[in-house]
Amino acid sequence: MSARFLAPVLVGLVMLGLWEGVVRAAEIPPYVLPGPILIAKTLVSDWSTLWPALVITLEITFQALIAAVVVGVLLAVLFSLSRWIELSFFPYAIILQVTPIVAIAPLIIAWVDDVNLSLLICAWLVAFFPILSNTVLGLRSVDRNLLDLFELYGAGRWRTLVDLRLPAALPYFLGGLRISGGLALIGAVVAEFVAGSGGRESGLAYRILESGYQLKIPRMFAALVLISLAGIAIYLLLSLLSHLLLRRWHESAISTER
Amino acid sequence: MRLVGVRDVSKDFANGVRALEGTSLDIEAGEFLSVLGPSGCGKSTLLRLIAGLAQPTTGTIDWPSGKPDLGFVFQEPTLMPWTTAIANVALPLKLAGIARSERDARAAEALSHVGLAGFEHSYPRELSGGMKMRVSIARALVTEPKLLLMDEPFAALDEITRRRLNTDLLDLWQRTRFTAVFVTHSVFESVFLSQRIAVMSARPGRVLSELAIPAAYPRTESFGTSAEYAALCRLASAQLSEALAA
Repeated sequence: MSARFLAPVLVGLVMLGLWEGVVRAAEIPPYVLPGPILIAKTLVSDWSTLWPALVITLEITFQALIAAVVVGVLLAVLFSLSRWIELSFFPYAIILQVTPIVAIAPLIIAWVDDVNLSLLICAWLVAFFPILSNTVLGLRSVDRNLLDLFELYGAGRWRTLVDLRLPAALPYFLGGLRISGGLALIGAVVAEFVAGSGGRESGLAYRILESGYQLKIPRMFAALVLISLAGIAIYLLLSLLSHLLLRRWHESAISTER
Repeated sequence: MRLVGVRDVSKDFANGVRALEGTSLDIEAGEFLSVLGPSGCGKSTLLRLIAGLAQPTTGTIDWPSGKPDLGFVFQEPTLMPWTTAIANVALPLKLAGIARSERDARAAEALSHVGLAGFEHSYPRELSGGMKMRVSIARALVTEPKLLLMDEPFAALDEITRRRLNTDLLDLWQRTRFTAVFVTHSVFESVFLSQRIAVMSARPGRVLSELAIPAAYPRTESFGTSAEYAALCRLASAQLSEALAA
């Protein structure tokens, strides 16, 4: 265990200890601020409610992320093939990106009957732009000389795309994917908040709202902890994927020893 | 036999810069020709025009017996970082639709010709600058082209590596006798390598004079220290100075 892991863990433990100490010493009631031990206990005792909610939120997150990858990469490829398509459509992609999701979510939820589908659309809207813009950048950052080389050997657009542009764009795409992973989760949670009760099946955000109404503050914190952990897990997972794909060749994934 | 004739070629770029003006040059099949000129004189542009990567604004480039297969070596190694040396070398064969097993065999052979046997599965970043340039040369030669165009390929390398690559390049040329067009701004390099030097003026570039280098091959290190070599370098240097003043 290096200091790299030990130091942040130590800081975390000290903070949690202080928190618990303050809550006990000042006798803060749990409906105002529960201590970390109580939150951990609630996490265990309410697991049967929280776990299914986590699964629902994660399902929406991953579906949105997959849709973001498919649409983002396809659009990026289309943009790279035609300057006119890019010029015509990119501004609208930006408009979608800069409009706050909380503002459009009620509209989408009103228009789309299926609640799950509307949540998916909201999360997708937030997640897809980083993938699109990064992949476009990557597809355009191809070495000019390599492009000349492909032309020299008579490679068509398709071959150039598959053998040159896509591999060159991979590190950029993976950078976008890591941002989008976190955003998809945020999008899913925000949309759940706006949707409120999502029928029978409800995600973590709904559990937080519900706990708030019922003044079950420890459960609220427990759900919050789960959302944070899920976000960290998604980030680590995508970082691992990025590392595995790039470790042989890309500067970002190579150990610093020389 | 003339392989290619550059006839009164001019090239203007979209930004209004005239890179070449009234350039004419004949290239004989099988010869080793150097194009010598100062930086920014349009040498690279001339090479790109011959390769067909750009079109002349005026003038023509004619191929009396048809345009042959050609190889191109850029100033930088220009390798695909995401794949191995052998896959980089095999790229032209892949783009030509040749089956995997054959192209791997031919790429491995090309790598061994440039002294890189055993490095087939190394990634570009694991190779030194000189080795990367060797991979780049192997890639240009893997299709066994009639014409090899080289754009200051060793300019970024250190003196020792550059000298080794110069002799190795001459070895390769003597073995297979492709036509070599070697662009450089180094008088010493052009005299050491070539049978003939075309000297270009500063921008807008054109071929001002030609100089024959009659010394016999194989040219070794001892040629590089001979009085003959020194005299030829002086001559080429004088012509380059004239071209710069013109």
